[in-house]
Amino acid sequence: MKILEVKNLHTSFFTHMGEVQAVRGISFDVEKNDILGIVGESGSGKSVTSLSIMGLVDQPGKITEGSILFDGRELVNLSHHELSEIRGNDISMIFQDPMTSLNPVFRVGNQIKEILKTHTNMTKEEMNERAIELLKLVNIPEPETRIRQYPHQFSGGMRQRAMIAMAISCNPKLLIADEPTTALDVTIQAQIIDLLKSLKDKQDLSIIIITHDLGVIAEICNKVIVMYGGLVMEQGTVLDIFDRPEHPYTKGLHQSVPKNVTGEKKRLIPIDGTPPDLLEPPTGCPFYPRCKHAMEVCRQKQPPLYEITKGHLAACWLHDQSAPEVEGYTKVKGEYNE
Amino acid sequence: MNYYIRRVVSAIFTLFVIATLTFFMMRAIPGGPFTRERSLPAEIEAALQAQYNLDAPLLEQYAEYMIDLVQFDLGPSFSLKGFTVNQIIAAGFPITALIGFIAVILIVLIGIPIGIISALKQNKPIDYAVMIFATLGVTIPSFIIATLFLYFFGVKLAWVPLLFNEDNFVTYIGPVLALTGYSVSFVARLTRSSMLEVLQQDYIRTARANGISEFKVLSKHALKNALIPVVTYIGPMVAAIMTGSFVVENVFAIPGIGKRFVEGVTNRDYTLIVGVTVFYAAFYIIMVLIVDILYSFIDPRIKLGKRRAD
Amino acid sequence: MDKQIFTILGTDEKISSEQIRPGLTYWKDAWRRLKKNKLAMVGLVVIVLVTLFAIIGPWLTPYSYSDQVVGFSNIPPRFELIDADGTYFYFNGSQYDLYSSTKDGRLLEKLDESSRDIVNQKFYFDLDGETVTLDYSYKLRPELADEGIDYSISFRGVEYKEPMGTVGNKLFPWGSDEFGRDVLTRVMYGARISLLIALIAALVNLFIGVIYGSLSGLYGGTVDNIMMRILDVIDSIPLLLYVILIMVLLDDNSMFTVILTLGLVYWVRMARLVRGQVLGLKNQEFVLAARSLGVSQNKIILKHLIPNALGPIIVSITMMIPSAIFTEAFLSFIGLGASAPQSSWGTLANAAVAVFRSSFYQLVFPASAIAVTILAFNFFGDGLRSALDPKLRKG
Repeated sequence: MKILEVKNLHTSFFTHMGEVQAVRGISFDVEKNDILGIVGESGSGKSVTSLSIMGLVDQPGKITEGSILFDGRELVNLSHHELSEIRGNDISMIFQDPMTSLNPVFRVGNQIKEILKTHTNMTKEEMNERAIELLKLVNIPEPETRIRQYPHQFSGGMRQRAMIAMAISCNPKLLIADEPTTALDVTIQAQIIDLLKSLKDKQDLSIIIITHDLGVIAEICNKVIVMYGGLVMEQGTVLDIFDRPEHPYTKGLHQSVPKNVTGEKKRLIPIDGTPPDLLEPPTGCPFYPRCKHAMEVCRQKQPPLYEITKGHLAACWLHDQSAPEVEGYTKVKGEYNE
Repeated sequence: MNYYIRRVVSAIFTLFVIATLTFFMMRAIPGGPFTRERSLPAEIEAALQAQYNLDAPLLEQYAEYMIDLVQFDLGPSFSLKGFTVNQIIAAGFPITALIGFIAVILIVLIGIPIGIISALKQNKPIDYAVMIFATLGVTIPSFIIATLFLYFFGVKLAWVPLLFNEDNFVTYIGPVLALTGYSVSFVARLTRSSMLEVLQQDYIRTARANGISEFKVLSKHALKNALIPVVTYIGPMVAAIMTGSFVVENVFAIPGIGKRFVEGVTNRDYTLIVGVTVFYAAFYIIMVLIVDILYSFIDPRIKLGKRRAD
Repeated sequence: MDKQIFTILGTDEKISSEQIRPGLTYWKDAWRRLKKNKLAMVGLVVIVLVTLFAIIGPWLTPYSYSDQVVGFSNIPPRFELIDADGTYFYFNGSQYDLYSSTKDGRLLEKLDESSRDIVNQKFYFDLDGETVTLDYSYKLRPELADEGIDYSISFRGVEYKEPMGTVGNKLFPWGSDEFGRDVLTRVMYGARISLLIALIAALVNLFIGVIYGSLSGLYGGTVDNIMMRILDVIDSIPLLLYVILIMVLLDDNSMFTVILTLGLVYWVRMARLVRGQVLGLKNQEFVLAARSLGVSQNKIILKHLIPNALGPIIVSITMMIPSAIFTEAFLSFIGLGASAPQSSWGTLANAAVAVFRSSFYQLVFPASAIAVTILAFNFFGDGLRSALDPKLRKG
């Protein structure tokens, strides 16, 4: 059952320098209880995608094309009021930097209760109990004391957990986590990831997790989307992406990340070059300048998404019948059509 | 609790330092009333003698001065014979305080909302208009506003009587205008930039992401944070009004402390000048203390100090 | 599809789509941004103009700041002339003085008053032996109010009631003051004084502030603590009170005293700023990086610390100047500023207040000069602050 269907999403920022096309045509689905990982570098469009889903794209940005269906309901062009009812209630989001994401002048408990007040009809006592319950759920010790404290009295990891507590307070169906672990220590990272895993089961959640950290993806996700230059480069199950990647960019990512391979000493091979300029995006494949298998067609036209196996798609001309044989790239018949 | 005690002790200490500093300044600065270079008329010399016991050793004089001070005895006035400085201050204080109070209320009630509106409608015409007026208000000195006002509305248009009258409400307009010109503009600009900065913060985005209504996001989450720097400004604002009152009372002929002070300056009435200075300084310190206490209620990070780690 | 486009290109043949924007140094980038800020540029232009006005102006006027043209006091920059058939008269209502003039407003001489007729409200003046009658009953008698004029001039038997028009004062473009001194010239010299006071005071503040702040920041620890506590105490009262107190006690209205007082008192802010910069930079990562690369201590200070710290310091100086102008004007206003012969704008304004009901122009010019200059510095300073803010760098 599909919780979320994103079809051909385009989001741009209309700055005084011109139109910056952050998201240039993305489609994906999230099924119930999926943990979908969106991986990419800075500027790939992954954060803007998540903000677009929540309707949080600020001026001068806006969704220029496409549709986003949540539980069958169209989210694009909903009024501000309607979106407020969904946010925090049906879809929640947590952000990257827990140090600055909580309002410093209000007590943590009050911030949680405020969300409950906005979306439910609970009484004061009920909200209080629920707040304590939520803090327990996210493994914050001494919740009774903690709800009366201010954010600056929490550590980084605790603040992130408080944010998660706020996000799940109204039992949303979908939780979007934008780089939830990037700003935290490695040990705390593991705790947060475990927490998200357990919450998925306890709260019957579906999760979208956005990160540039492949390790996190491998740890928790069942499905993955790889983004670059505002487009999807490859998508599939986590096995597809890790064991049998079919896109030069994905392969490049694996090679440039130190992995825990015992015994073997492997070279780290960084991907040369820099991300594309989204003010004047390239007409062809965005990865063209950095790809060692680049062809003329890659410069001219954007490759369509080729279906390698069911559910495993890659946007690369190498999969086309007309392309030369290259080891590691499977040719497919025809194009993948929506 | 610790915070409050520290602040009060700090205030008392500062008062003490100022009183001491003032005393020694009177003696140390060449040309001051106590130096031998100065030849004062006999009666002033006598008054000084009585007040400061000039022949006694320095420390004894200092002790007497401080004792007097603690009892709020500021000594006799030089120029207004027969009156003590206390009496002069007490006579002028009500009207000065009244106008100052009105000024503060107006500054807060006008400056803050304007700043907020300007921030919300950033770069739209109303924002530009407000910013231009605010910049003018901050740069044009109060005495110019005062005299311009009197000239246009008092002389040319004759809408306003030229002499201040306590009971005539219209005569309050000019002084209040001149007194608030600077501060209301400053507060508007401060509120605006503070609001703009706050609206960029991550926690605002979090609140929106959790479905909080836009109205609440602005009026609750944003405002409380945005007002923090504004509250901090209240101290300097009081100072600005205090010093502004010197000029404004002079131009508008208002019988407040400011006017007496300026007259004292012209007449070199030393005890009056020093007395008013110490009085105003003390007043200011108390105001700042109140503001600091107020501030601790708004920004919890201050009194709780370092955060306790997990 | 054409098969040919499917051949794999080597890296040499690819056209790199990378855009390389030229890197700019901190200063060039700041200047570029400053130029774009129109308001700041206007401020800069005005500052330059005012400075020229102060420096060159006094050479261009025929008067010095103290030259008095006897008898020509309190004449406004524009006045009405009565055309008495080829002889032109100007009557200064506020002083009851009558002058002969050229048609375009150049006053020739002040006429001697030969007699008065108070009953009929007439003055009689003598112009080279001929009588000129000034009838001011029109102003005073209510029944003549309908005529709509304040006075009339009779010369050679003809009474002239209607002025021919308003002309500009050719002798004193901005009018004259109560001693017959040219206002324009006095404002020019006033500019010199005001700007000089402000500049030197700002420099004194800079000097003291930088030394105090750097020492405090560099030493750190207890020394820093004590020095900051001292600042806290100084800061805890409105400094203007102390300026006034010091000026009164020194009782010396010379320019030097004013500068000294201003300089003694406002350096606190600069000291705090400098200390903050020094502290911040001491610990900056790039200092650590430079050190770890073996760069010597001095080089660190010169090449890295100072350019970065300079930004806010420069802005601070720029903003000190209007502050000093304001404070000096304020002091003058309560009678404590630099007094004649070194009349600053504030002194001029203060003197003008006494007569502003009748000769408002005497206040307008110095007051506007103050306001415009402060405004210009503020705009420029604001722009400078934005331009030098490293967070806004895009280059």
